[in-house]
Amino acid sequence: MLKPVYTILNNKKVVPFVFLLPFMTVFLIFKVYPVITAVIMSFQNFQGIQSQEWVGLTNYQNVFDLVRFNQALTNTTAYTLGTLLVLIPLPLILAVLLDSGRVVQSTVFRTLLFLPALTSLVVTGTIFRLMLAENGFINLFLEATLGVRPLRWLEIADLALPSLIVVATWRWTGINILYFNSGLVNIPRELYEAATIDGANVFQLFWSITLPLLRPTTLFVVVLSIIGGYQVFVEPFIVYNGGGGPGDSALSMALLIYRTAFTSFNFGTAAAMGVILAAIIFVFSLIQFRFFGVFRQED
Amino acid sequence: MILMEAEMNKRTSLFLLVAILIATFGASVTQAQDATDLSLWVFVDRHGLFMQHQAERWNEANPDRPINLTYEQIDYTQMHDNLLSALLVGIGAPDLADVEIKKFATFTKGDLHFIPLESAIDPYRGDIIESRLAPYTAGGHNYGIDYHLGSFVMYYNTAILEAAGVDVNTLTTWDAYVEAGKKVTQDTDGDGSADVYMTSVETTDIFSAYALMLMMGGGTYNADGEIILESPENVAALQFLQDLVHTHGIARAASSGYHHSPEHFTDLIEGRTASLWMPQWYMTRFPDDMGSALADSAVVRPMPVFEEGGYTTTMGGGTGTVITDQIDPAKVDLAKEFLAFAKLTYEANVSLWTDLGFDPMRTDVYEDPALLIAMDDFMGEVPFTYIAAGLGNVAPEYTGPFYPEIATIFQTTALYDLIENQAPPADVLAAAVEELRAMGAEVGG
Repeated sequence: MLKPVYTILNNKKVVPFVFLLPFMTVFLIFKVYPVITAVIMSFQNFQGIQSQEWVGLTNYQNVFDLVRFNQALTNTTAYTLGTLLVLIPLPLILAVLLDSGRVVQSTVFRTLLFLPALTSLVVTGTIFRLMLAENGFINLFLEATLGVRPLRWLEIADLALPSLIVVATWRWTGINILYFNSGLVNIPRELYEAATIDGANVFQLFWSITLPLLRPTTLFVVVLSIIGGYQVFVEPFIVYNGGGGPGDSALSMALLIYRTAFTSFNFGTAAAMGVILAAIIFVFSLIQFRFFGVFRQED
Repeated sequence: MILMEAEMNKRTSLFLLVAILIATFGASVTQAQDATDLSLWVFVDRHGLFMQHQAERWNEANPDRPINLTYEQIDYTQMHDNLLSALLVGIGAPDLADVEIKKFATFTKGDLHFIPLESAIDPYRGDIIESRLAPYTAGGHNYGIDYHLGSFVMYYNTAILEAAGVDVNTLTTWDAYVEAGKKVTQDTDGDGSADVYMTSVETTDIFSAYALMLMMGGGTYNADGEIILESPENVAALQFLQDLVHTHGIARAASSGYHHSPEHFTDLIEGRTASLWMPQWYMTRFPDDMGSALADSAVVRPMPVFEEGGYTTTMGGGTGTVITDQIDPAKVDLAKEFLAFAKLTYEANVSLWTDLGFDPMRTDVYEDPALLIAMDDFMGEVPFTYIAAGLGNVAPEYTGPFYPEIATIFQTTALYDLIENQAPPADVLAAAVEELRAMGAEVGG
């Protein structure tokens, strides 16, 4: 009796859809539907517990009138740039060192470097709060090594973004090393051997072979870092006790969206901010893909 | 024979067991059938336990109308977000819910989904400090009942004061407080900056500032629901706060900006801060967060006053229990009566102290022996005599739709600019008002 069903299921045209069904269901319900709803909401006055009405582009206009939005955009951009400046070169160098065969027990190092990414963010936030406190580890370390007077990391606006970048560095260095490592493994050894015979030194090898051949990996890491940077939420939320830090100097876009939606209960404006944030990330990603020649036809 | 006896015993035991089981389950089934189920969401487990204890008291007092209260504890942010969402979609909300004071106004935007409680509160109105209802009032209706009064008191470290030759009992006015502060604030290691301060002020939370604003007669909203941020009283209060830090030099910004940070608790324990003003419920932080480290030196005293006949204290923080409109209409009256019984009766107010350690909002219980107990955490003194002494003229706190946004502005930029950047108070308040207007708030003046 079930035979017809089996026949249909075994049909080559049907089978892919059957296998895709569970994923597509989850994807449509939990990803596509909320995205569409958010876009619709961004054109509505959706304030408080009341019925919503269409307001056209008013929410978008409001967004740019808000002082906090510009502040959040500046903060988030600065944070993203800061993480890029640290989280691309540092892991790259460490990955090359680990791959060079000069490090003993490199597997142990790799595992240890990966651990921060697995640590609960709440734990991370709490530990960094203690470390960044006025009489915490970081100040003691700076005082002992560089003789710097204790800094008020968590209380001064100018130190808020550096504090967050310190947290991000601790958290993401290991993961980025893994990415670079997988890229390095794919570079043929013969290239290095040939270049060495031609008399190239270590820096020339790095500059002329490693860097160009790592380009796809670097692009991947840069794109991920930018997306991650613009979406940063949990780090400031936890390090600054749910707020945007001293003088809102660590207020990120995501934090502002959350605040607008759940403190001000203004879902329309919050959704408009979300759409703008998505557009920014989209544009950045496009520029990078172009810059790195992803869309270029292979020769 | 012995065997038979043993067999008999076994049977008797079995019979007894069955009888007990029937009695227990039978009874509970009957009770469950009669008892009205009420659900409650809380974000502090102790609140849920307290309400369950009150439900037991209710059932003893009203055996004909028993209730079966079940509570669910959800994390602070999550609980409020869930409640908002549930009320928004019209399904999934509990019968009763705790709403924190800063979150309450969020629920008043648009249609209100809470049940007015006046009919239940009215019988007790004369017995309570009525201004405690103000934060949970909208459109002339009372929607929530708090767990405590939350009156501001001053916490002193007597060891530091005595070392500087200051008698804690003389600090009844702010002038005396500032003068004493100059003696207490000291640079002990000679590096040019003070190591011990008379007090600390919050730059990322509202308590230090709001207390002074309200005690001077200002605040965020007035009784008519108007935003009064730029009032002269508020300007004066913030000027005083700034002066404590920069002109008098007796205060520092609290470590990490607020009085609940672990770093600030360390400052208190290690004797770097001699006093601070916080609501009465901050008393529980001395054993809970500071491990009773200050048991030999900490005392509670009434707030200093600005002028004779002025406000003696005000209220800070709070959580109101509300009834949502998703409750079965048949249960509304019972729920209202229970809520008033649980929070406003004399016995309930005694339990607010004995169970939760909170200052009750009924004035008549301040004479009760249950409250007048010596506490080891405060040098064996009886803190309630001092708390009660400060309740002469409690400044009310009114809230309105933009109360959460105002709190956010104070917590993020306003107080930081005032204290760290030494911005003039009038400018700080003007900037706050401008931001509120951009958010759609109507601010006169």
